[in-house]
Amino acid sequence: MKPLSIGRLAILYLAISTMLLALLGGYLWREIDQTSQALHTHEVVAANTELEEAVQAILTRMHNTAEGLSKWDETRQQLVFPEYYTLWRDNRVRDVGLVPPSVDSVALYDKDGHILQGANSPDPMPDTLPGPAPLSLLKREAGHDHFYHFVPVHADPGNMVLLGYLGLKFDLLVELTHARAYRYADLSTLKVSLDPEHAVEASRTLDFLKIEAQPNPELLEFQRLLENSLPRLAIAMLLTLLTATLLLNRLVVNPLRSLSAEIDALRDPNVKIREQRPPSLPVLELENVRRSLDEYQNRLADMHQNLEETSQSFFEQARHDALTGAFNRRAFDEDWHESVRDRRLGEVALILFDCDHFKAINDTYGHNVGDAVIQSISICLQRALRADDRLYRIGGDEFATVLGDTDAHQARLVAERCLEQVLGHDFRQYGLSEPVTISIGVALSDLPAADDSRIPLTELQKRADLAMYAAKRPGGQKIMFYTREIGSAEALVASRSINAVFQALQEPEYIEMVYQPVVRLPMMQHDYAEALTRIRFENELVYPGDIFPIVQDRNLDAEFDLAIIRAINRDMDNGRLPAGQGVSINLSAQGIVNARVMDTMLALLAAETGRKIVVEITETALITQLETASANIQKLREAGALVALDDFGSGYSSLRYLSSMPVDLVKFDISLVRLLDNGTDKQKLMLEEIARMVITAGYDLVAEGIETRELLDKTIRLGFSHAQGYYLGKPA
Amino acid sequence: MGFCSRVLLFGLLVLAGTPVRAEIVHLTLPNKIVAQGEFRTGDPAKPAVLLLHGFLQTHNFPTIHRLVEALSDEGYTVLAPTLSLGIPHRGQSVACEAIHTHTVAQGAEELNAWVKWLSARQVRQIILAGHSIGNIYNLAYLSSYPDSRVKKLIGISIVEGRLKIGEPARAGLVRDLRKAVQEDKRKTIEHQFSFCQRFHATRESLLSYLEWGPDKILTAVRKANLPVTMIMGGKDDRLGADWVDRLKKTPARVIIIPGANHFMDGQHEFDLVDEFLNEMKLP
Repeated sequence: MKPLSIGRLAILYLAISTMLLALLGGYLWREIDQTSQALHTHEVVAANTELEEAVQAILTRMHNTAEGLSKWDETRQQLVFPEYYTLWRDNRVRDVGLVPPSVDSVALYDKDGHILQGANSPDPMPDTLPGPAPLSLLKREAGHDHFYHFVPVHADPGNMVLLGYLGLKFDLLVELTHARAYRYADLSTLKVSLDPEHAVEASRTLDFLKIEAQPNPELLEFQRLLENSLPRLAIAMLLTLLTATLLLNRLVVNPLRSLSAEIDALRDPNVKIREQRPPSLPVLELENVRRSLDEYQNRLADMHQNLEETSQSFFEQARHDALTGAFNRRAFDEDWHESVRDRRLGEVALILFDCDHFKAINDTYGHNVGDAVIQSISICLQRALRADDRLYRIGGDEFATVLGDTDAHQARLVAERCLEQVLGHDFRQYGLSEPVTISIGVALSDLPAADDSRIPLTELQKRADLAMYAAKRPGGQKIMFYTREIGSAEALVASRSINAVFQALQEPEYIEMVYQPVVRLPMMQHDYAEALTRIRFENELVYPGDIFPIVQDRNLDAEFDLAIIRAINRDMDNGRLPAGQGVSINLSAQGIVNARVMDTMLALLAAETGRKIVVEITETALITQLETASANIQKLREAGALVALDDFGSGYSSLRYLSSMPVDLVKFDISLVRLLDNGTDKQKLMLEEIARMVITAGYDLVAEGIETRELLDKTIRLGFSHAQGYYLGKPA
Repeated sequence: MGFCSRVLLFGLLVLAGTPVRAEIVHLTLPNKIVAQGEFRTGDPAKPAVLLLHGFLQTHNFPTIHRLVEALSDEGYTVLAPTLSLGIPHRGQSVACEAIHTHTVAQGAEELNAWVKWLSARQVRQIILAGHSIGNIYNLAYLSSYPDSRVKKLIGISIVEGRLKIGEPARAGLVRDLRKAVQEDKRKTIEHQFSFCQRFHATRESLLSYLEWGPDKILTAVRKANLPVTMIMGGKDDRLGADWVDRLKKTPARVIIIPGANHFMDGQHEFDLVDEFLNEMKLP
């Protein structure tokens, strides 16, 4: 069933109410009419009862009057001496009060039934007795109805001696009028259905009488009141209904419509929730509904606001990095794609930042320190960036920013400022011993493509990647701008190097080891050769600067160490490394703690007991498990190997490593050695003091990068026990 | 002897010692009208008392009834007739306004009939008694029908039919009535008479009563050939001022009951009874 609106329901209710009221009015009218009819019937019955009682009373009184009169001495006297009969009949009878005034005539009859002679009476009595007395008759005469009553008159009390008869004549209507008071009978309506001059026994009187009830003044008044009241009642009912309609409309219908409209409006998500509360509704329940709706709306608004805030929060969270607060990769992608789509980017610079050796930091000092390093780098970068520049953390240790309307100079300034901020930050507060550096790759959108057309902006990220890749290269600049050379070389190298590394791992023969002699000072005797890794790929050699970033980036250190050991072992087996030729093998930090690497190395040492084998551990490669590393180094030493700390002086923790690990040799980093040539006096002094301190501590010093005699002499003078470099012998 | 037994014995003694038998008796008068009266038989050795009521009354009038009772109780035979006054079987007093046709003479005639009625019952001594105007009937009877069996006349409160118009006017009225009766004696007239303000009677009837004025009464008393005793009330206001004194001047013995009124009712009824019974014992 289709639901009806409250307005139609109200109209229906009012229509039903009106109909019910009309039915009620009709029912009341019918009941009253029936009651009136019943009352009238009752009154007619009562009127007839009254008439019957009156007739009976008349007959009784008539009889009593006649009896009393018949016993009266003077009556008997008239029957004996009727000389004064007329006087007796017309005066004496009346005067003495023995007959009521309603008696029209009195007559005496002799024993034969003949009326006594006398003057004519105004209401003459029959001349002869109509029948045997006692006798009562009702007779219509001259339009009037009379009762006749005849009784015998006896001379003696024992009624033994009949003297004659007495007759009385009553006027029916007069007698009825005086017989009693009538409450119901209306004597004016009395009808006697008696033929003129016809007489009937008085006992049958009621058979010929017909009377109507008096109008009941109370009932008439009631009916009049009712008739007068009905129109007023109808008007009152109409007014009541009208008032009820207005009240219903105002109190219920309109508020319900309003509520319904409000509820309907809630379906439209674009409709704003009412802010101003409407005035209170007059009906408590509706007000409760309204209040509940308001509360519901308010809660809905709160929920909506919370949802928006949550959505915004989620949006923000989804676009921000939880650790650093910087924008995340998703934000970077969205902003980047949006910028590309909107083509809002003009001359822009995409700068990528990458933390050097972050994995090692994370592994060595734990994730908390790693997180702190990342946070600090983020802070430094954000501090260095311009206010409107966004910093994105697009990888674990990789950040990016896009500088709008920026040329190469401005980009460089920003990049340098970022680098300075990072380098100037004190990371030792987190327990780090080594310096934290970042590599920065910059790509500019204004660098035209090879065909001299403007590059697609989507290419910027790739270019910045290549530039940063170049910056990662050992010994290079930490800020690299993308150039076509880098683009072609790095892309080519990167692609070729990756293939080469994986090829070498699968097929060790791709690895070609070259050996650079290390001489003993000061006599410069050949002591051993450092094995340096090359990969021959597609008839070209891939050098360590291209190999190890890939190896480290893909965490292939231990695998690659094993490949190198197998390559050296191959060279020992095939005689490229003659017996007795000492060799120095570079192991990664992961390799020194790797069981397979250690087993392989120990096996090699066991097989080559007559060969001097030096294991070089790169100082820049942070050793994550220092105790395991120390134990393994000790095992290697016990197996006959010498252990050298490579690239000493390239990091913070050189001395810490030196004091913690049982090494035999310390290889000064080439950057330290070159300070002997181009360093300041202070630097030279410090270097000398460091060399003296290391020697004093019992280590042999190895200088690398010896490319001139002068430099060699300086190392000899400082007490270095070994040296290597192009001056002493190129790798072969 | 218990209370019930004593009551029963008393009742039996009363019944056994009372020869009185009360009855209503009827007498057909010469005019064929039946009159009635109360008759109580008594000691035959004692005289019978014919006790007549006053004007328009019956034998049931209290003064008469008390005397009937008292005399009967004393063993006297008592007859208390009710004059018919022209009404058959009259048992009710007649209203003043009724049409009166009776005369004093008719009353005397009825008394005569009753005396004969008593004589027929072997009554040899009759004491005639009457109250008020009933004494006039008695005197008229004695005047018209002397009978040796009537031994004495005892009158109670004897008085004439009084008119309030004074004696001269009464005489004039009588004269007029006499004349009117000559013209039409049956014509009726209303006039104050005795206690009736409107005595409605035929001329003949009224005249018959008016004829019996004081003088005629006193004359009749004087002429009565038997002992006459008049018992009068000391405070009878229906009497003429000198009436008792005039009575006393007659041969009649006049007994005055002090304080008694015309009907001698109340406490004086005993005095009346005592005086009447005393008189009955006197010759």
